[in-house]
Amino acid sequence: MKDSKQDMSLILRISSRFRAMFHIFVNEIQNIFKDRGVVIVVILAVLVYPLLYCSLYINETLIDVPVAVVDASNTPISAEFIRHLDATRDVQVKYKFVNMQEAEEAFKEGKVHGIVFLPNDFSKNLNSTEQAIVSVYSDMSSFLYYRAMVLSTNYVALDMGKDIQVSRLNALGITGEQQAMISDPIPYESVILYNPGMGFASFLMPAILILILHQTLFFGIGMAAGTAREENRFHELVQTRVHRGGTFRVIVGKCLAFFTLYLLWSVYMLGFIPWLFNLPHIGNPFTLLEFVVPFLLATIFFSMTVSVFVPTREVQMVLLLFFSLILLFLCGISWPQSNISVFWKAFSWMFPATFGIQSYLKINSMGASIHEVSFELIGLWIQVAVYFITTTLAYRWQIRKTTKKQLMESEL
Amino acid sequence: MSSINLFSETLKREFKRMLSRPVYLLGTFGVMFFCYFFFLTFMKEGQPIRMPIAVVDLDNSSLSRQFLRNLNATQQAEIVSGYKSYNEARKEMQKGNIYAFVVIKENFEAEVLANRRPEMTFYVNDAYLIAGSLLLKDITYMSELTAGALKQKVLQAKGVDESKIMGIIQPISLDTHLIGNPWANYGVYLLNVLLPGVLQLMILMLTVFSIGVELKERTSHAWLSTAGDNFFIALMAKLLPYTLIFTFLGIVADVLMYKYMGYPMNSNIGWMFFTTFLYVLANQAIGVLIIGITPVLRDGVTMAALYGLLGFTYAGFTFPIEQMPYLAQVFSHLFPMRHYFRIYVNQALNGVSIGYSVNYLLALIAFTVLPMLIYNRLKKAAIYQNYPIK
Repeated sequence: MKDSKQDMSLILRISSRFRAMFHIFVNEIQNIFKDRGVVIVVILAVLVYPLLYCSLYINETLIDVPVAVVDASNTPISAEFIRHLDATRDVQVKYKFVNMQEAEEAFKEGKVHGIVFLPNDFSKNLNSTEQAIVSVYSDMSSFLYYRAMVLSTNYVALDMGKDIQVSRLNALGITGEQQAMISDPIPYESVILYNPGMGFASFLMPAILILILHQTLFFGIGMAAGTAREENRFHELVQTRVHRGGTFRVIVGKCLAFFTLYLLWSVYMLGFIPWLFNLPHIGNPFTLLEFVVPFLLATIFFSMTVSVFVPTREVQMVLLLFFSLILLFLCGISWPQSNISVFWKAFSWMFPATFGIQSYLKINSMGASIHEVSFELIGLWIQVAVYFITTTLAYRWQIRKTTKKQLMESEL
Repeated sequence: MSSINLFSETLKREFKRMLSRPVYLLGTFGVMFFCYFFFLTFMKEGQPIRMPIAVVDLDNSSLSRQFLRNLNATQQAEIVSGYKSYNEARKEMQKGNIYAFVVIKENFEAEVLANRRPEMTFYVNDAYLIAGSLLLKDITYMSELTAGALKQKVLQAKGVDESKIMGIIQPISLDTHLIGNPWANYGVYLLNVLLPGVLQLMILMLTVFSIGVELKERTSHAWLSTAGDNFFIALMAKLLPYTLIFTFLGIVADVLMYKYMGYPMNSNIGWMFFTTFLYVLANQAIGVLIIGITPVLRDGVTMAALYGLLGFTYAGFTFPIEQMPYLAQVFSHLFPMRHYFRIYVNQALNGVSIGYSVNYLLALIAFTVLPMLIYNRLKKAAIYQNYPIK
């Protein structure tokens, strides 16, 4: 009899805790949608930013970069070179000049991003047995111009060179097997993995997508905390009537609200957007889920910890927005991780974005299984644990501060 | 009191406010010096060197080992491990431990000697585009070199005249010049845009914040009365300290890049100082415009954030503007960063005469007219405080 009574009260206690937690969860969801500033960050920005960035980079690679050709040779064979160059996808021969000054002028005016110079001995050398040298000048303001220039001119030089080589070898009486041996003794094949089109969006967007999730959560949670602090009478982060003494329930309830919302966003961001814009998306959905859960939890607890130190709702964004850029470099997708110093690497491990971007890239762009991203996943789960503890400590400190203030007020 | 007195009183008030809470000093000196420290130490190599690659050498002959030794000696690649199969190497690639690997088939050397032209395969991970393309360049170069040596040997054995050999191996050779940045230094390429980019972000943020916080905390009356209820004086005295601070910080960045790091500066550095000054003014003007459009601090900050982040994309240094969709190209003109970028390319990188940059300088100046559009609206907001505080 007594036992069952105890059981009953235990069940009641548990169910009351759950109800309280659920209450905080609902309350927090309402708070998110009540606050226009938070809605702009965690709804509008998440919705629009990926669409915007993907459409800006929709071309993936450069097409028909305008170049000037200076044809000092002016012969059928130099004209053929120019024709072949113009036919490449990368560049377009916009102007043909007879001297370098004119080409330089067009470059200075920004009309062309590269100059190709065919010297006057170009066809003479090709018609004899000499080597012809073509000078290529490339705009370095964007490295993509440089790549377009190198790819197109290399292709034309090799392609035309092959025919000339054959005729020169024929003239020497070297044919058949031997000719092939000389023209290409070790044929090599380069296989571009995981981004076969060498596309810019396919390379950058996966990182941007994760960064958008990370940063909107960070600023959204910070902003919501700032509002709570400004609106409550005691400038407290958590109101007493909400928490009723249970730090744990407050944290879990708050966390669940953002977690639920962002689980839905993850489907949009990591599933729909890559599909829509044809970014790499070869990851297994379950593997993605195994990564998304710790990534979101780590980001939420990280943001909640930081939010304790946010005095007003605007200050966090004013001071820390620039950090998005730092995170993009720290994660090691542009400047390779192998070349990041130990100091900055250790620093990068503080942020869920670092492990988040790496594991997302590996899973969804490179088709890695959970096995290959175990390092990042362990990192994320450690962050979940550490930031959960720091959040608990920070919230407990906040709640205690509030209670003390209220006590003092009631004593007065 | 004379206007000058009112102006200096308002100026004094602003300096006092700047010391009253940490956000002002952190948002100017704090953030900018952190970024200088971060980016200058982060990319100090200039180009990523000795990136990890692997080999699957199934031949293990003197020829294959020679090739791998040569490959290891290139600037960008460092062979860190050897595997027995393609699958092992691919897994290592998926873990991100290597950025490329080379597969050399069994009997490679024997087939070369028998003139059977064995194939060699490179796998490069372009999900990391920079590492991937640099390594592809190095590996391709090394295999061309190895093949070149073989070709030369065969031709010499055939008794072909030495002077004709290069003309046969490579009838058309390219002589490539990288204008302004001959070593393709990534620091030069990125920092010239990233540092002014962060400066832009902070100018926008602090302009919006320093004005918006007066409206939010209902201190705008005190602000106006210090300036003798002259809104023009009030606004100018508020903006001036930030003009000075950010111009100073911008010039520090110029000096760090062009003097300390020795990045290319192919015309007079004075032009970059001048451009930096106009750039600060242009961004302040946009900051005022934003808080004028929405005289609510939190909306102003969010708007400035959205706009400021787009500035990086719209400089067009990673992906050129003219390759973006047409509509996007039109909008690019509304970002001071784009004009700044063009001037930097002209003056620092290409070293052309300043005449080619006049249009961009004028564009930067044109931005300073923008606050006129919302001048009255902002003035009324300061007087009537008729906007919600949140």
